Amino acid sequence: MRPHVSVLRLPRGPAPNGRGFDPNSPRFIALCPTTISASTETATDSVQIREEQRARSALRESFLRTLIAMTNKQVQFHMYERVKVEAKFGASDIDVLNFQISELHTPIGVQKEALLRCQDVISYSFDL
Amino acid sequence: MAMRQTPLTCSGHTRPVVDLAFSGITPYGYFLISACKDGKPMLRQGDTGDWIGTFLGHKGAVWGATLNNEATKAATAAADFTAKVWDAVTGDEVLTLAHKHIVKSVNFTQDSSCLLTGGNDKIIRIYDLNQPEAEPQEITGHTSAIKKALWCNNDTQILSAADDKTVRLWDRNSTEVVKQLSFDMSVSSMEYIPDGEVLVITYGKTIAFYNALSLDMIKTVDAPASIHSASLHPDKDFFVAGGDDFKLYKFDYGTKEELESYKGHFGPVHCVRFSPDGELYASGSEDGTLRLWQTAVGKTYGLWKCVLPEELVSENSDTIYCTPAAPEIKA
Repeated sequence: MRPHVSVLRLPRGPAPNGRGFDPNSPRFIALCPTTISASTETATDSVQIREEQRARSALRESFLRTLIAMTNKQVQFHMYERVKVEAKFGASDIDVLNFQISELHTPIGVQKEALLRCQDVISYSFDL
Repeated sequence: MAMRQTPLTCSGHTRPVVDLAFSGITPYGYFLISACKDGKPMLRQGDTGDWIGTFLGHKGAVWGATLNNEATKAATAAADFTAKVWDAVTGDEVLTLAHKHIVKSVNFTQDSSCLLTGGNDKIIRIYDLNQPEAEPQEITGHTSAIKKALWCNNDTQILSAADDKTVRLWDRNSTEVVKQLSFDMSVSSMEYIPDGEVLVITYGKTIAFYNALSLDMIKTVDAPASIHSASLHPDKDFFVAGGDDFKLYKFDYGTKEELESYKGHFGPVHCVRFSPDGELYASGSEDGTLRLWQTAVGKTYGLWKCVLPEELVSENSDTIYCTPAAPEIKA
């Protein structure tokens, strides 16, 4: 019986959360020296880069704070296909791919627990 | 002593894998992209199959996927009526190109400046990626859904295969048909090899080789089962094919002899491609997996390690383990 070719290990599979593209990989670091770029032009001026990074940090921080403020509040979601639903917001996953929500009011009934796919959401609003 | 092939299984997709493509050889190795009906195309390191990232954004099955030579850009074609261009380093979506029907095929020019798309609306489109808002150039003529559209002849011509049972060669500037091949049945796949200008076409149980410039037939080879996809080795000594019977076949290109067949997939094989260095070939299947197969079985490459007979019985072989190839389970 012929022996099988040996293998060092099996290929690594997808990470359980997140979409990959490790920013610490040599390729990423070499090819994306700064992932900070204005919508069209790349800012080569270091002062501009710093300014933009400051603005980005401020926006990111306020976004994260809204997620905290939203916890356990009633949120209205506007989604594709003219869908408007309301639910109690629980939490977001780390990449903001899914929202964990409860008591989701849909046209066909109330879903006790649900996971909302963020890419399907156009906008959402809630009262502070 | 000939060793038995150990395919490497890449898991992660949850639905059939319908298309796959390799990049060229880059300073960071070469890469592999897989198109899947689960709508989430994945990028993998080409020589190991290690997952690098998933392109998220499509809202339907992804039917076609491609990488540019440097693996810095990816393009995908999907059932959500869009083709998308991605940054293949960050995974970010760069462009969405709306179409009027399911998009099946995407292909970059050598310099990545233009993208070719084709799909169920029977129209071939050329997008200038430097002016994405501009209207694409359209090439009409096919009377059925387009399966594959590829740049050829130094990006001056286009080859397309459609369900109207024709393969057509178009001039890019005039958008006119230069030559046409007609078949008795639909072409299941097409591969273009720029070096040597060879076109590999599969239909029914046949793998056919044509001169890509003249569309003159070079040779045809028949396989034991209906073939969905085939790929010619860069050195043009072998070709591999896979289809309905779940097996991968390896043939000698010169003699047309069937050399080997490998079991492993649990479903029909939809796509198969040689890596740019010819050391391995990847197959995608209805079973939702990709498998990597060695061209030279037993050679040390990627995750495969050549083990000398003495090492097999040695007591110090704790870093080496054998995984069996086909489990030989009858479905």
